[in-house]
Amino acid sequence: MAKPASVIEMAARKVVALAGNPNVGKTCIFNNLTGARQHVGNWPGVTVEKKEGYFVYNGEKVRVVDLPGIYSLGAYSEDEVVARNYLLSGDAGVVINIIDASNLERNLYLTVQMLEMGTNVVAALNMVDEAEVRGIKVNTDKLARILGIPVVPTVAPKKRGMAELVAAAMQETMKSREPLKILYGKEVEEELAKLEALIDKHPMLTAKLSSRWLAVKLLEGDDYALRQVGKDILQQREESIRRIEENSGQDAESLIVEGRYGFIAGIVEETVTRRKTPEERLTLSDKIDKIVTHRVLGIPIFLAAMWAVFQFTFTLGDPLIGYVETFFEWLGGLAGAWITNEVLASLVVDGIIGGVGSVLVFIPPIFLLFLAISFLEDSGYMARAAYVTDRFMHTLGLHGKSFIPLLIGFGCNVPAVMATRTLENKRDRIITLLITPFMSCAARLPVYVLFVGAFFAQREGLVIFSLYLLGIVIAILMGMLFKTLFFKGEQAPFVMELPPYRMPTLKGTLIHMWERGYSFIRKAGTIIFGVVVLIWLLSNIPFGVPVEQSLIGRLGQLMTPIFAPCGFGTWEAAVALSFGILAKEAVVGTLGVVYGVGEEGLATAITQYFTPLSAYAFMAMTLLYIPCVAVIGAIKRETNWKWAGFAVGYTLAIGWIVAFLIYQGGKLLGLG
Amino acid sequence: MSNLQQLSPALEDYLETILELSEQEKVVRVTDIAARLNIAKASVAQALSNLKKLKLITQDRYGPVWLTAKGRAYAAGVRRRHETLVYFLVNVLGVDPAIAEKDACEMEHVVSSQTMDRLVAFLESKRYIPIGEANVQETEKSPKRLDELAVGKRAKVVSVNATGAFRRRLLEIGITPGTEIVIEGVAPLGDPVEVNVKGYHLSLRKSEAACILVQPT
Repeated sequence: MAKPASVIEMAARKVVALAGNPNVGKTCIFNNLTGARQHVGNWPGVTVEKKEGYFVYNGEKVRVVDLPGIYSLGAYSEDEVVARNYLLSGDAGVVINIIDASNLERNLYLTVQMLEMGTNVVAALNMVDEAEVRGIKVNTDKLARILGIPVVPTVAPKKRGMAELVAAAMQETMKSREPLKILYGKEVEEELAKLEALIDKHPMLTAKLSSRWLAVKLLEGDDYALRQVGKDILQQREESIRRIEENSGQDAESLIVEGRYGFIAGIVEETVTRRKTPEERLTLSDKIDKIVTHRVLGIPIFLAAMWAVFQFTFTLGDPLIGYVETFFEWLGGLAGAWITNEVLASLVVDGIIGGVGSVLVFIPPIFLLFLAISFLEDSGYMARAAYVTDRFMHTLGLHGKSFIPLLIGFGCNVPAVMATRTLENKRDRIITLLITPFMSCAARLPVYVLFVGAFFAQREGLVIFSLYLLGIVIAILMGMLFKTLFFKGEQAPFVMELPPYRMPTLKGTLIHMWERGYSFIRKAGTIIFGVVVLIWLLSNIPFGVPVEQSLIGRLGQLMTPIFAPCGFGTWEAAVALSFGILAKEAVVGTLGVVYGVGEEGLATAITQYFTPLSAYAFMAMTLLYIPCVAVIGAIKRETNWKWAGFAVGYTLAIGWIVAFLIYQGGKLLGLG
Repeated sequence: MSNLQQLSPALEDYLETILELSEQEKVVRVTDIAARLNIAKASVAQALSNLKKLKLITQDRYGPVWLTAKGRAYAAGVRRRHETLVYFLVNVLGVDPAIAEKDACEMEHVVSSQTMDRLVAFLESKRYIPIGEANVQETEKSPKRLDELAVGKRAKVVSVNATGAFRRRLLEIGITPGTEIVIEGVAPLGDPVEVNVKGYHLSLRKSEAACILVQPT
């Protein structure tokens, strides 16, 4: 990191973008190029992650922009739109296109699309070692000659070819290149010529775009192209599409996609030699796959993997959480003894140190979870996990990959919400986000233990289990409801690549983990901290009065009638639930304070205020109502305030309704 | 045929024609059907869209027409009825073959399946016609939906019968007509399936695979 100050302060004039299909080692190349000098943010207006970094070449600072992994420059997903708009913006002087050497055909589709746009491209023919093992040899010189761009063979994990790649990219940057022209056959070409002639009459269009590219994109039905042109061209387009279909018996879109693949097939023919026939080529990856997705073994292996992730996150994380808590208690004690002003001491100890502590306490499980998830993703198992569970999750209206966040939710909802990031489809992601808080996390367990111990002494296990089950059932019902309510008719296809298994690199996995963990601290952390301080203020104004007379106590009294039909219409319960928003286990501590008995005498104290029925309703409420502030922060981080607000509102409503039904239904059955 | 609702005579004729053409030609196109039946292309397209709705045929936009397993069975049934009637008229009643052919064309559409079944059984029992099912068999090589293809089998993509963004996605990731595709496996719970296309692995839900028509190789 120790660079001359002049370089760091210098604005980067040259910009290199990285583009490529998913699972081709793009991230690894990005890490190699930029080292630790990277920054993760979001592309404007969307939740697609934007990674930027820089490297220094010949004393000059070069910015590197990592585009999302995509198969095409269409408008199929947010990722594709982001990548296409970025390339059109002309920000990058050159694009390094990472190509999987063992899968030239599909990878070149994106390359060809960029070349058609006239983008400066340098191809990194990555994982040439892996391809060679599979008996695939690519003639790089010939490939470079045919495509008219530099092609550099690389092996990203071993950093092979990086210097050559950078040198080639710097050579190409800012060059002006003729767009590649693919011939799409007589029927299409005739119509393209008409469209081009018409586009050429509009200097406004030809000033920024090549008329041929625009014409091709118009026939493909690209929304960006359609927005650029006027009525006359649109009319010609309709006419052209009709004529192509009439004359060739095929639609224009297919002909163009086929045209590109035809061009690519020719290149592959010329440049790729295969040693063995496909039948003999059962790679190690295929062998692993045969076991991992086996009809009988597939599910047990999946469950074992999930169990391992869960154990890794929480069994390893719990002692670390303990250390963090102990540290902040110690720090609080220290500060409390040092500050003499009572109000100030309370603010610093309970508000600020408590607030920071309640953010940092999530660090161990979040980092450990993301370490595990990064490993699963980078190794290629995550796609198989989705493949194995999709049948089941699909009936719930979810994607196979939704399973992981939901499972993690039983440990802690915060990393679970963050794990939804592995879902590419927005619809799947939001539905999963919204139902994850119903997974009964570890923090709710102390509440159950307290009430079950006091009211259901003989059937503790059964009652606690019923609450977990209640959460799952509500989650399933809500998932189905949201599917029809918000995303009706929206198709979320499952088409997904099952990438070859690879051993993840330690550095790559650690960087992956750090990015996600850090973004939690930065984004969700501020929200958590803010709410902790707010609640401190509410419970301490006016200062020095018992909780009952503080703002929060008065609020609790106001809320009493609302909770009365659910069986716990006391201000103490309302205040406890309010504090539960900080962290669900705070419900126990708060009840101890407001009943004035502390946590020890609580089990006997609550028997005076609750009946078994109202206790069960209260537990259901604790399970379902507003997720804790950290979860709200995480949801905001993954979506926006709208969805975070919705999550707060609807979970509160569901919690109240379920508690109401339990209490009133129980009374009708004579249980009260 | 009893589990399928009765089609209109015209649609039955279409099915029969497609079956005949598919036995003579590699692919059946709208133009061929129009020529054979001497009907305008536009009317053919209208009828085909009805058959498509009934899942008796599949057709890529403007592409070739393929009978589904259901459509093939139905068409075979129609033809069987036709042949039985002709046989009955000519060989049992002694009607002139040309007239028998014309009458059979009219009769086959109005006779109920029950009557037809009884007639066939009767003729068979009297040894008037050889015993046997409809004389069209599903062959190994006839086009089928990708989800009907067995694990380990290879096929070539014939058409992608989807629309909009989904169709585009399938085409762009390499499932284009003519591409070789292999079913690698089925997930433990029976869905989705794993396929190999252009040298890489892809998973598809069965409902999605059903949009892809393939020709086993």
